[in-house]
Amino acid sequence: MSAPNSNQRKACWGARDELWKCLDDNQDNASSCEKFQKEFEASCPAQWVKHFTKRRDFLKYKDKMQTEGFEPADGPKESRS
Amino acid sequence: CFILTRSHSRGPFSLPLFTQRVALSQGPNTSTAKIRLRTRLVVTLLFGGGLLGTWWYVRKEKQQNHQMQRIEQLKKVALGQGDFSLLDHRGHRRTKRDFLGSWVLLYFGFTHCPDICPDELDKISAVVSALDKDRSLPAVQPLFVTVDPERDDVAALERYVKDFHPRLIGLTGTPEEVKVAGKDYRVYASPGPKDEDGDYIVDHTILIYLVNPDGLFLDYYNRMKDDVQIAESVRNHMKSYVKLSE
Repeated sequence: MSAPNSNQRKACWGARDELWKCLDDNQDNASSCEKFQKEFEASCPAQWVKHFTKRRDFLKYKDKMQTEGFEPADGPKESRS
Repeated sequence: CFILTRSHSRGPFSLPLFTQRVALSQGPNTSTAKIRLRTRLVVTLLFGGGLLGTWWYVRKEKQQNHQMQRIEQLKKVALGQGDFSLLDHRGHRRTKRDFLGSWVLLYFGFTHCPDICPDELDKISAVVSALDKDRSLPAVQPLFVTVDPERDDVAALERYVKDFHPRLIGLTGTPEEVKVAGKDYRVYASPGPKDEDGDYIVDHTILIYLVNPDGLFLDYYNRMKDDVQIAESVRNHMKSYVKLSE
């Protein structure tokens, strides 16, 4: 399977951007964006779909950290002497 | 006090004729005051100018020192000291020696890369085009070396590089040859798990390396640097390179 060429890359990125815009507009409600999800999966190699999905998760997480702040997990309690 | 006494005699602070005439016609007190003020202004400006000049000179020296230090440090890291032997996207054998005499912008990537490699190669293309516009600078040679020799053969590279700057050369080879080139620049590359289509993503170092005409690694640029900043940096390296070899 040969690598996507420039046009195919742009088509994939376009479909991804459409999907992400839909998700942004619908508070990440995946069911409202099924059409875009299908288009995205059709325009991009499977590996890229996985890659971009993970990327979006990461960007959302990063956003959350920046707006809601970071809550450290309860680690081992230090003994105060 | 020094200025007071000097202002009445011809000296370094002698005034243009019309001012003197105006000063004299308005009586002794105001004329002296005007001359005093004007002289003081000139002195202040000269002194200020001197300060500014010194500050600017010291700053330039500091920047040059900083640049020299950085180059020394990178020389110690000694990347790109070895030789590589690879095939270009037309099937011709190319070694590091072939690129001596040129400034090189080197990037390691793979053609199945979802977004980062095309972005970085677009950036390199923009940098090279910008530098091409300056006729006083030597032409930069952009190189793309694959970290995915299993899939990126000569034909794959040929298809890939034509979407970027016309001078971009793609390089590939046997896994061994590619490993040698990557190791030379301490490039990290790790193919990910294959999916049902046999497709996989290669996790790798995302850096653009600048190599000078002596084959010496001089600088590197990460994703945060844009094409304008990189072009500026390359330009500076080119200018200081000429100075050193004189």
